Amino acid sequence: MKRILIPVFLGVLFLTLQTTWLALPFIRWIRPDIVLVLTLYLGISSPPISGGVLVFFLGYLMDLFSGNGFGLYAFSRPFLFYCAQLLKDRIYLESFPSRSLFVFLFALAEGLTLLILLKALNPEHLPNLYPLFFTVFLPQSLSTALLSSVLFSLLKKGSSLLYAEPGTGIGGK
Amino acid sequence: MRIRDFLFRRYAIPTVVILLLLSALILISLRVKERKGVAFMDGLLMEISSPFQKGSTSVINKIKGVWEGYLFLVHLHKENEQLKKRMADLQRENDQMREMVLSHERLRKLLQFRETLSSTVIAAEMVGRDPSSWFKSVTINKGEKDGVRKGMAVISSEGVIGQILKTAPSHSVVLLITDYNSAIDSIIQRTRAKAIVEGGGENRCQLKYLLRAEDVVPGDKVITSGLGGNFPKGLMIGEIRKVDKKGHGIFQYAELVPSVDFTRLEEVLVIKESPPPPAEEKVKKVKKAK
Repeated sequence: MKRILIPVFLGVLFLTLQTTWLALPFIRWIRPDIVLVLTLYLGISSPPISGGVLVFFLGYLMDLFSGNGFGLYAFSRPFLFYCAQLLKDRIYLESFPSRSLFVFLFALAEGLTLLILLKALNPEHLPNLYPLFFTVFLPQSLSTALLSSVLFSLLKKGSSLLYAEPGTGIGGK
Repeated sequence: MRIRDFLFRRYAIPTVVILLLLSALILISLRVKERKGVAFMDGLLMEISSPFQKGSTSVINKIKGVWEGYLFLVHLHKENEQLKKRMADLQRENDQMREMVLSHERLRKLLQFRETLSSTVIAAEMVGRDPSSWFKSVTINKGEKDGVRKGMAVISSEGVIGQILKTAPSHSVVLLITDYNSAIDSIIQRTRAKAIVEGGGENRCQLKYLLRAEDVVPGDKVITSGLGGNFPKGLMIGEIRKVDKKGHGIFQYAELVPSVDFTRLEEVLVIKESPPPPAEEKVKKVKKAK
């Protein structure tokens, strides 16, 4: 039960931080997407079934508090989660640059997925949306990538403290 | 039994992956088709998670209060002098405005204009912002229990903020006018030229379908036209910053700075009663009926 409730609570906490503290005016241009970092951390460390369901739930919550009327995050987040699951044994993720690059590439991939879905689902042309990729989304992806290494370490340490056996729970395999 | 064994024991992981992605696609399809999700689920989850946002925002406000009240007093004297001067200016402006209001009242009675702005409004506080940078929305602490419904106009003393996108029993999500999905029927205050205000992302909007022949200059104020039903006529939307007449076609484009500073948004007003349709719209309806 602990292994389900703690990640759910952590997800809601991260979402709350993202919609309040990280949305303050002085940080809004580069505000990092910490829910995405949590999604990717779960992708490389949690079991595919419970982790997948949790990430779907987090995506659903993101959609609820977002101006996005289509529910795109409920799709994109599990999609990224399973991509991370597929790659987790093939890439080295113990150093700062490798973690940051991993998160940066996934953030970009999500941005492109969202753009493609929005273009496909919207009957109208959306010229105002494309400049956001460079002015808002790219700085956000960079800040998310830079923060991810610290968050990955904290999450790893937290899960090893919370769960007695190392290598289990949200931080284990 | 065999199918269950096959799906949930041997291929448990691929089955869950497919089920999850499929349910996400079904949700997208539901939302695209009917513009609504699973209403009960949405409401329940919003009700559970909104109090966290409310708590977090109140902590931010407390810290801000302490900062502004006690620590940020360095230039207090200078600021006091400036404020006194500003107050005198505002007083003078206020007297002029009173005169204008009286004159307006006389004209209004004379022409038997109907009241366009509904008096029933709901005051609400902002408790959170959009978790994503792609979309522009805020969460407020009033919902269906308070009479808030989807599509209602949201304003502040400075002007138009947006409209209600999603509702839960005691919380709602407001789609800001800066979101690319937002479109409001508007008029230029000075020339009465009609146009559509569309969201342009970070604290800016675009004016579309504005005829090239219309005289529009930077600094012109843009107000709601009252057409479309959601917004009463005459609410301030913003000020034109740039006019673009380049290119071909019958339209010109203009960039608009919203009158509301969305980065400092705290309290908002939701217009509960929809205003009566303007005379032009009524005429159109009568013509259609004929």
